[in-house]
Amino acid sequence: MSTNGAAGRIQIDGVAKQFGDLRVFQDIDLAIGEREIVSIVGPSGCGKTTLLRCIDGLVQPSEGEIRIDGAKVTEPPRGVAVVFQHFGLFPWKTVYENVAYGLRLAGAPKDQIAESVARHIELVGLKGFDKAYPYQLSGGMQQRTGLARALATDPHVLLMDEPFASIDAQTREILQFELLRIWESRPMSMVFVTHSIEEAVLMGDRVVVLRGRPSSIHEVIETGLPRPRTRDVLSSPRFNEVREQVWSLLMHEAEQAERELQEVR
Amino acid sequence: MASVPHEVAIPRTYGVSARTQRTFLRIATGVILLVLWEVLVRWLAPPFVARPVTVARALPHVLANHLPPGTPTFWGAAEATVVASAEGLAIGIVGGVLVGLTMGRLRTADRLLRFYISTFFAMPIIALVPVMTLWFGYSSTVRLYIVALGAFLPICLNVYDGTRSLPASFVEVAQSYRARWWNVWFGIALPASLPYLLAGFKLAVGRVLVGAVVAEYIVNLKGLGSYIVFDSRTFHQPEMMVAVLFLALLGVSVNAAADLATRRFLPWYRRSE
Ligand SMILES: Nc1ncnc2c1ncn2[C@@H]1O[C@H](COP(=O)(O)OP(=O)(O)OP(=O)(O)O)[C@@H](O)[C@H]1O
Ligand SMILES: [Mg+2]
Repeated sequence: MSTNGAAGRIQIDGVAKQFGDLRVFQDIDLAIGEREIVSIVGPSGCGKTTLLRCIDGLVQPSEGEIRIDGAKVTEPPRGVAVVFQHFGLFPWKTVYENVAYGLRLAGAPKDQIAESVARHIELVGLKGFDKAYPYQLSGGMQQRTGLARALATDPHVLLMDEPFASIDAQTREILQFELLRIWESRPMSMVFVTHSIEEAVLMGDRVVVLRGRPSSIHEVIETGLPRPRTRDVLSSPRFNEVREQVWSLLMHEAEQAERELQEVR
Repeated sequence: MASVPHEVAIPRTYGVSARTQRTFLRIATGVILLVLWEVLVRWLAPPFVARPVTVARALPHVLANHLPPGTPTFWGAAEATVVASAEGLAIGIVGGVLVGLTMGRLRTADRLLRFYISTFFAMPIIALVPVMTLWFGYSSTVRLYIVALGAFLPICLNVYDGTRSLPASFVEVAQSYRARWWNVWFGIALPASLPYLLAGFKLAVGRVLVGAVVAEYIVNLKGLGSYIVFDSRTFHQPEMMVAVLFLALLGVSVNAAADLATRRFLPWYRRSE
């Protein structure tokens, strides 16, 4: 298992989560650095979303604790933003108002909101769509709005829960590289949950593989890929090597699940 | 799969737009009904029974308030009814939104209140008017309670439904941006429930008008209800009929305004998925 030398911005110590009789995950130890992207992969239902919720303080872990910048997380902290798979845009708000949401709640001054919202709408390539409603946007554009809303609060921790999972393959690839470009211009801690092994390897400095029931960290793989990451990475031998490694870890799990299912029958 | 014959699949419009055709049919029905009314009354009823021609003849002097001394004036009555209805709607909206949101967001409030509010909603509250005259006297207070309750109940239950069907994901997004409970109630649950609120408002308009008019009949308050009773009893049927038509027009136009407001201010409604 690899150790992370950098002072962890996010410190996860012995965390477990249980819903009634269902123990979702346990023994999660993970430190995430200030300018690090950690990808999390694992089979459906292994608790990836729940872990992100714990990091954001939306739910409390049953055991262990999570600290961000040394402070124990008990409620959603300032400076942490989430991007949701379902986009989570408010249908009655325009793009502008959706992006402004976090700043308005934080009570930011009017001119600061106007400046920041305009800048972030432009950053994600939605200039001119300020007045559009979510129903008028494609899935890709909706998630651009979700990303702008998160970034507008100027977070130092970004939690991504399968942000591009419900977006078509071509747009997804464009968004992946745009996100990488944005991250290069303002590096921050990022936890990137995904179902796609390629995406996990492309985004992450490390890939955390969750496995088992209840699940726990099975393996942490340093991708060792250079940054800034460009499309060239996708065809590099190292990328393929890591992808195969993660793939075999997850396939093993899938096969085991299949066998258990056979036994039940 | 059997293919549908071409002639059946496409409605014939004979070169006229579907909208024009619909309007034409609607007007045609109206004209036929008016003619039937006129003919049947002339043929079968005594001369004091209102028919379209006499109503039309009564219209100018009713609207100009030119009535025999001692009779209630139309505009005075209309104003009283409209003002009381508007007050009732205002109270009903504010109260209905607050209670509906509270029941929708707090399980305890739901358990304490919803059964009784649903029961009141299901029962004809105008049945309470006689007993209310004993409690509050023969005063406009009775009408105010009836119209306020008439607006409150449907709005409250609709806002409740809207709040209950609020996707949990919206609440989670709000909480992740550090929203407090009041931000969730009034910034998320309320706007998400606006389509429900509007549906409740349209129900409320009908109930409020019925409540106001019936309260005016029974309590004999200045208003269109008592105007209608007076004119009916004094053989001023065409004059009375003007008030009935006015009430119909009022209900229809408030609802049309609500639809217009939906399209204008809730463009996202019915289009988000
Ligand atoms: N609030 C809750 N109450 C009870 N059980 C829950 C709750 N939230 C999640 N679970 C359960 O915990 C398990 C993990 O759910 P979670 O959504 O975290 O998985 P996931 O890894 O994100 O799955 P997916 O890949 O499908 O998104 C599931 O079995 C789910 O049913
Ligand atoms: Mg999930």
